[in-house]
Amino acid sequence: MDTLIIDDNPTGIFLTTRLLRRDGQPADVITSFVSPVEAVAFFRQQGPTDALPHVVLLDLNMPLLSGWDVLDALQPLEAHLLGRCVFYVLTSSLAPADQARARQYPLVAGVLHKPLDGMTIQAIQARVLETLPS
Amino acid sequence: MPPKASPPIATSEVRFRSLFDNTPELILYQNEKAIILDANPAFLALVAEPRGRVVDHCYDDFLPPEVHALFRQKLEEAFAGKTVRFDMFAAQGKSAPRHWDVVKIPLWENGAVVGVHMIARDITEKMLAQQEIVTQNQDLQQFTYIVSHNLRAPLATALGLVDLLGTEEPDSPYFEETRTHLQASLHQLDLVLRDMNTILAIRDQKNLAEAEAVPLAEVVQQVVQNLQEVVAQCGGTVRVAIPADLSLRANRAYLYSIFFNLLSNALKYRADERPLEVSVTATGGEGKETRITVADNGSGFDQQQAGDDVFRLYKRFHPHRPGRGLGLYLTKTHVESMGGHISVHSRVAEGTRFIIVVPY
Repeated sequence: MDTLIIDDNPTGIFLTTRLLRRDGQPADVITSFVSPVEAVAFFRQQGPTDALPHVVLLDLNMPLLSGWDVLDALQPLEAHLLGRCVFYVLTSSLAPADQARARQYPLVAGVLHKPLDGMTIQAIQARVLETLPS
Repeated sequence: MPPKASPPIATSEVRFRSLFDNTPELILYQNEKAIILDANPAFLALVAEPRGRVVDHCYDDFLPPEVHALFRQKLEEAFAGKTVRFDMFAAQGKSAPRHWDVVKIPLWENGAVVGVHMIARDITEKMLAQQEIVTQNQDLQQFTYIVSHNLRAPLATALGLVDLLGTEEPDSPYFEETRTHLQASLHQLDLVLRDMNTILAIRDQKNLAEAEAVPLAEVVQQVVQNLQEVVAQCGGTVRVAIPADLSLRANRAYLYSIFFNLLSNALKYRADERPLEVSVTATGGEGKETRITVADNGSGFDQQQAGDDVFRLYKRFHPHRPGRGLGLYLTKTHVESMGGHISVHSRVAEGTRFIIVVPY
């Protein structure tokens, strides 16, 4: 399960990467962006045949572009991304409003609360295997 | 000995005349056609008209058109025998608009209503205080939300890192790195709590702060001197143009903090392409509002994107530079504790200008 982490906090990226390494497959490719702006640019520059990550873990509370802003910016690419790439909001916030808001984005499969744990990672893997063509 | 006789009670007429003449409430006596048959001195004072231009005139003449219908309806209800009470916000005569708590009371004679008394109490202060409380409650709600979020972030990270520590090999480099990150997260958690202490301390003293006449130029010079080394290191210049006799009623420590924060920001967010230039200017004094401008030629920020968030707690706009998003929040709190207002204008790659206005 190739995963892209978008999180402005390097410690958050370190933690999520290590948890994915521990509970994922050895061949998984894990990449990250500290800057949400660069993450959006990455998706915009993707050609039609380029390899996309299977899963994107998106932080909400970031300077300049929040996680919601990133999703808004990716809206024009939605048709291209749907079915190829599953987004999860990964936040330390426990605000119930996040769930409702996330449902408005077809790209987003769910809201996860930090920290990730082994069970959640396995659940994501199961879902990715189910929905994405291998 | 027989008890001393209590003084005789004044006649009803004297008592009620005294009440009518001296109460701060407006009292009118009206007929069915809304003609004012009697008005007390408080009403005459408010509309600033002599008795002759009030009595025998229609009350409508003293009210803005938008409340005419309301008053007609309430007067009718009172003439139907009901005591009615309602709130309104309106000007009366040439007075400024105010909030009024109005009561209309029917006067009965031989089983019929012959007239209606109106008593209107000015509740403007109370309404304003209430609005202030509502605003403050909203602020507190927002504050609590931000605090809980900013406490949970490092805490959640620490929880995850502790989970990791349980499975990393104790002698591996990852173990050591995890431990270092854990320490940083806990430190971050501690910082947030310390910030809360700082903010609450300012809020606590908002109304108690020791205000004194502080010479503005002196405080700014002090800040510039303390930052001189950093300014020199980056080849920057700070120009100060503040009249020597201009002082501000303020808490000196708060005033220092305001300029320290603004100048530190100018240094932190300077543009790499050109030497930093900051100018601090102020005008005012002698009964006029004080207007302070702190302008730089730094990297600026996208004001449209930042919106109203610039002064919000823990909001940040420069992802590649260190900062917690506390400085401008504190600056705003300090300015407001002096009864002032701060605003900002910024353009990317051109610079940022902060304007502080403190009323006299």
